[in-house]
Amino acid sequence: MKQLVQVGDMKVGVKGDEIVTYSLGSCLGLMIYDPVAHVGGMLHAMLPLSKINPEKAAANPYMFVDKGVPILFKAVYNLGGRKERLIVKAAGCGSPMGKNEMFKIGERNYTVLKKLLWKNGVLLKAEEVGDSISRTVYFDISTGQVTIKTGRNERLL
Amino acid sequence: MKQGRKREIISKMKSFPSMSGIAAKVLKLLDDPSSSADQVEQLLKQDPSLTANLLKLTNSSYFGIPSKVGSVRHAVAMLGWKRLSKLVMAACVSAITDRQLPGYDLPPGVLWQHSVAVSVTAEGLMRELKIAESDEIFTAALLHDLGKLILGGFVEKEIEEIEKVAARGIPFQMAEQAVLGTDHAEIGALMLESWSFPPKLVSAVRWHHDPDSAPETSSMTDIVHVANVLCLMIGIGIGVEGLHYEPSVLATKRLGIKHTQLELIASQTLEWAKELTDAV
Repeated sequence: MKQLVQVGDMKVGVKGDEIVTYSLGSCLGLMIYDPVAHVGGMLHAMLPLSKINPEKAAANPYMFVDKGVPILFKAVYNLGGRKERLIVKAAGCGSPMGKNEMFKIGERNYTVLKKLLWKNGVLLKAEEVGDSISRTVYFDISTGQVTIKTGRNERLL
Repeated sequence: MKQGRKREIISKMKSFPSMSGIAAKVLKLLDDPSSSADQVEQLLKQDPSLTANLLKLTNSSYFGIPSKVGSVRHAVAMLGWKRLSKLVMAACVSAITDRQLPGYDLPPGVLWQHSVAVSVTAEGLMRELKIAESDEIFTAALLHDLGKLILGGFVEKEIEEIEKVAARGIPFQMAEQAVLGTDHAEIGALMLESWSFPPKLVSAVRWHHDPDSAPETSSMTDIVHVANVLCLMIGIGIGVEGLHYEPSVLATKRLGIKHTQLELIASQTLEWAKELTDAV
């Protein structure tokens, strides 16, 4: 089944599913996959830290990297995924051009992700982050294959 | 050659059906303190689809009107003149931005979502920064990408050339300018000027990617600029050009905005925009 992950959303899937998210700009797309259990999930988080709007974070934790990432891992464990087998990939975290620090939300998203993963002893297997491009991500849960598309350009992650 | 191309684009602009003729008349009435609710209602009755959109937007949760509004007269009473003119504009914009947009690679409805998102973000920034309330900001934000409706077909034909120029580290609107002799911000401003929109609003549309080049700086231009970049970053209306725009350091300084304020607004934008886009 095809599942669509909206901005500030998360979806998990099993063999036969494809999870898709569109229009990753500065948002983080995080894909985690257990190749033995053939289960996985994708998060599309918008902002680094939930303390910016605790009320929003309570209603929708997936909007924030610090709240969404742990829930994504738990959701995949619940489907039978095991931490030691997980393949973790990141996409997105882009920024507009220039040096205006105000708009480096993508970089801040990436920094918070890296800290979280490091604290929990999880490594990123692959990443395509940064740049001023838009990314659409297709995640095939049967094979674990992650495909990124920008305009007409398609590549595997 | 570029000049010739610009002339071609401008002549296409002139043949673009003006936003509902009724809309322009309604806005003029609303600008005139001596006009009455009756006159507005009579005029709106001539355009049923505009009226239907107007009522749907009036009933959207964004405006928080507790009882259901079923008539133009009721809408005038509940909203007041100023908000009504905003909504007439939104109803018109929704009618022309719901189509697919070639060149920029935007599916049907996405330019409408983007226009609404930038408008509510701009209003959010205005409140957060305690800048004097202005109804024009909403309208300027709603119309900032109007030029894309004209330029899309031309961008589509020249996209490889435009992308080649942009790849040299040049913002997308400048690459449009280099290849086509004009850009979507300039074309949008020319359209609004020809429809006699107020100069301040035209200027905010003209300089929404480059507020520092405006002959006069204004908080309206700066806010539309910031709101636009923010909405693209969170993926609302992000097209072929991605985030290939350069936010102005001076504009954020002039506004005195902090990154925490920007993130707070970003966390609310989706919900605000949804309240309006769901209505139509």
